[in-house]
Amino acid sequence: MKKKVLSVLLASTMVMSMAACGEQTTEAPATDTPATDTTTVAEPADDTTAEPAEVSELTDGKFAETRHITVEVYDRGNDGGSDPTNNMYTEYIKKGMLEDHNVEVEFVAVPRWTEVDEINNLLAAGTAPDICVTYSYPTIQTYASMGGVLDLQSYVTDYKSELTNLWNWLGETNIYWDQDINDGTLWAIEGKRANPRRILTFVRQDWLDALNMKAPTNKAEFYDMICAFRDNADTLLGKDAKKMVPFSVSYDVGWRAALLIESEIDPAITDKEFYVNGFDDRKLTENGTKEAIRTLNKWYNEGLLWKDFALYGSGDATEDDMMKAGYVGAFQHNWDYPFRNGDDSIQANLKRLVGDNAKYVAVDCFENKAGQTLKFGITEAGDRKIFFPSTNDEPLASMLYLDWISDPDHIEYLQKGDEGVTHNVLPDGAIEIIAAEGDAIMNSGQNIDMTITCNGLHFKDDALTSLSMAHSYASVDPADVETAIKLAMTNPRFEKNVKVAPITAEEGMGEALSSKRDEVYDTSVVAPADSFDATWDAAMNDYLSAGGQAIIDERTSAWEAVYGSSTSLE
Amino acid sequence: MSAGEKASKSKVKAPKQKTNWKIYIKRYWQLYALLLLPMVYLLIFKYIPMKYILIAFKKYSIVKKVGEMPWANNHGMQYFIQAFSNNDFKNALRNTVVLNVLDLLIGFPIPIIFALILNELPFKKFKKTVQTIAYMPHFLSWVIIYGLAIQLFTPTNGLINMFIQRLGGESVPFLNDPVKWVGTYIFLGVWQSFGWNSIVYLAAIAGISPELYEAASVDGANRFEKMWHITLPGIRGTIVTLLVMALGNILGSNFDRPFALQNNLVMKYAEVISTFVYKHGIKGLQFSLTTAVGLFQSVVGVFFLLFANWLARRLGERGIW
Repeated sequence: MKKKVLSVLLASTMVMSMAACGEQTTEAPATDTPATDTTTVAEPADDTTAEPAEVSELTDGKFAETRHITVEVYDRGNDGGSDPTNNMYTEYIKKGMLEDHNVEVEFVAVPRWTEVDEINNLLAAGTAPDICVTYSYPTIQTYASMGGVLDLQSYVTDYKSELTNLWNWLGETNIYWDQDINDGTLWAIEGKRANPRRILTFVRQDWLDALNMKAPTNKAEFYDMICAFRDNADTLLGKDAKKMVPFSVSYDVGWRAALLIESEIDPAITDKEFYVNGFDDRKLTENGTKEAIRTLNKWYNEGLLWKDFALYGSGDATEDDMMKAGYVGAFQHNWDYPFRNGDDSIQANLKRLVGDNAKYVAVDCFENKAGQTLKFGITEAGDRKIFFPSTNDEPLASMLYLDWISDPDHIEYLQKGDEGVTHNVLPDGAIEIIAAEGDAIMNSGQNIDMTITCNGLHFKDDALTSLSMAHSYASVDPADVETAIKLAMTNPRFEKNVKVAPITAEEGMGEALSSKRDEVYDTSVVAPADSFDATWDAAMNDYLSAGGQAIIDERTSAWEAVYGSSTSLE
Repeated sequence: MSAGEKASKSKVKAPKQKTNWKIYIKRYWQLYALLLLPMVYLLIFKYIPMKYILIAFKKYSIVKKVGEMPWANNHGMQYFIQAFSNNDFKNALRNTVVLNVLDLLIGFPIPIIFALILNELPFKKFKKTVQTIAYMPHFLSWVIIYGLAIQLFTPTNGLINMFIQRLGGESVPFLNDPVKWVGTYIFLGVWQSFGWNSIVYLAAIAGISPELYEAASVDGANRFEKMWHITLPGIRGTIVTLLVMALGNILGSNFDRPFALQNNLVMKYAEVISTFVYKHGIKGLQFSLTTAVGLFQSVVGVFFLLFANWLARRLGERGIW
């Protein structure tokens, strides 16, 4: 009897669970349809004629009913950082948006160092935030051509009167930077670099002092310096001599040796050639790159580089830890890299772990054939791109968010926080950022992850901005920052916007080609000196045949279609 | 053997059984009801999704339903042509086969040998301890194993290389040199799974009747002869079943192991189909291309499975069906 009861029970639970399963499966298509629906909803919104009616749903910039939007925010995974989706600054934004526009804001964290992968996954799953930020335009382009991205063209023009802050801050240049020249579609708007500085070389000042050397002023001196570091490892590091890395690069050689690579580019390169090869932001196919990598290869084989560099992937902290522990003599990175993260910055750690005089200073010593230490890629656009996926059914509320976040008052508050908590006001009026605690910790320098339309320090008063910039890195000597500020803008080469048709060969190839490019760089750097040419040529051929050449060809013809035989933009 | 017996039984019963299935269902309906659950699972999660195989023949769009997507060029074969003219794919295909065959050659016999050795151990406690320690790595994720590998094998800071250097040797690029990397890859794979895989064999060995061993002892067989003539034939069926399944997987590859272990310096040997699909499909959004690759992989896998099963039957074993 008992058995029978038990089996009836079992069978009935099964039927129940199956019924539950059945419900889920019938639900699945149901959730499918809204995803497709939103695009059809979005389409009438694309229709410019429908717009004026919608503008009137705002009274004094406020919606009658509370709207809800989701916004991407980078998660940098800092040790002891604040919760990227819930901290003092997100609260400030949420409160402000609700008061000013009656829009509820929810933040969605996306890991900074794998952002492209992550945003791809979210887009493919149809769960991307309403406002997305990425550094990768090809990702946006690919989704746009599948119909997965909203065309912003009508929103930025039709709501122009509601978006004064956005227009004032970004201006035509950044708003229309990515506009399609053929059909006028606008898939993304470019956030602005308030501070267009890019990359610098840093060397250990205390090691130079210990060896009685002067800071290098050209490539030859730089080479002598790292050789001297290597040869005097015992003096400089004592029992840790074996851990010495005179010049450090990571797997991302194209970035971490960018100044060396760019110094080999022909100073007379035409705009056309620069554009045609410009699809790879690590300049793999530029005319002097091979020679630069030959130099690195020589350095590697002479024991000047870190032997394990290629084994650690993106976001790995091992190399940073080596810098913090004082094993690294020189490196190239973002112009403020050693100053970032307050008490946990490389500079602060170095001081704590090695000694008071241990520090990195910026130098400017990678000159090209014309003797200039050019800094490429200086531009106010070409940084972070903001786009709305087609699953965004609150485009107006989202545009208002962008406007709100571009308000100079809001930018200023988000970047400096409260006096006594995140900053002090110095006697000369400069804002000095101090190490904050708990909720008030900014996870990114100058809170750039919060101010998505603004990358870099920007106060309402320009004079105050430049005065404060050197003080905007907690726990770092302002004099060191000032040197870096100055050198990073020495001999800038401003980027020009080439307006041609979208390059279809680039679609879907971004990730595959950039990982291939890293392979070309890494394998060539570690090749034995006598087989460098063979390694480079083989890897390069592979890269070109995997899609690089197709892009170069299409870019060439796209340029010629617009600019004809002219090789210059002016 | 048992398979033969069963086959002949069912042949004899066949004419009657046509009407018998109702009786069976009536008598064992609880069991059949229980069986329904996994069947429904398979249907929902394995069979219904198969309609998305169509993506391989269509131009993928994120906002359209499968039926609405336009057909790909060349009668829908565009993406297969693209895959087979892609050097990276051919490379990945070669690497998948080579790495899996090496895994099979080296990784397949080791659990069997381990189970045999373990079975000969007279101390029960020692045996249990060894067995537990041996299968523990199975529960580590590949990311953690790569972390361990980095600590042990890197040229400058790796423990093993530091040891080699102390002894006056040159550090060995276990992870940076493509050929040595393949060795490390296989070694780590074996290390991670041999203990776990030996469990099935130990269970099979436990099922062999002790009388056989006693009889052999009476006949004067030594340990090695008993192992060769009793234990090994006793687990032959298990070995063949697992071999058939392993052969069916020769083109399949798990994702985490190659993905966690690969680095830029060894990519020409380390890129396998699963990581290729990840890079081009998920990261590059070429869903049609990678669905085509996945379909190709599955179809070849099915052929291997059928072949291995046929071979097993030819060798007088049961196969897996």
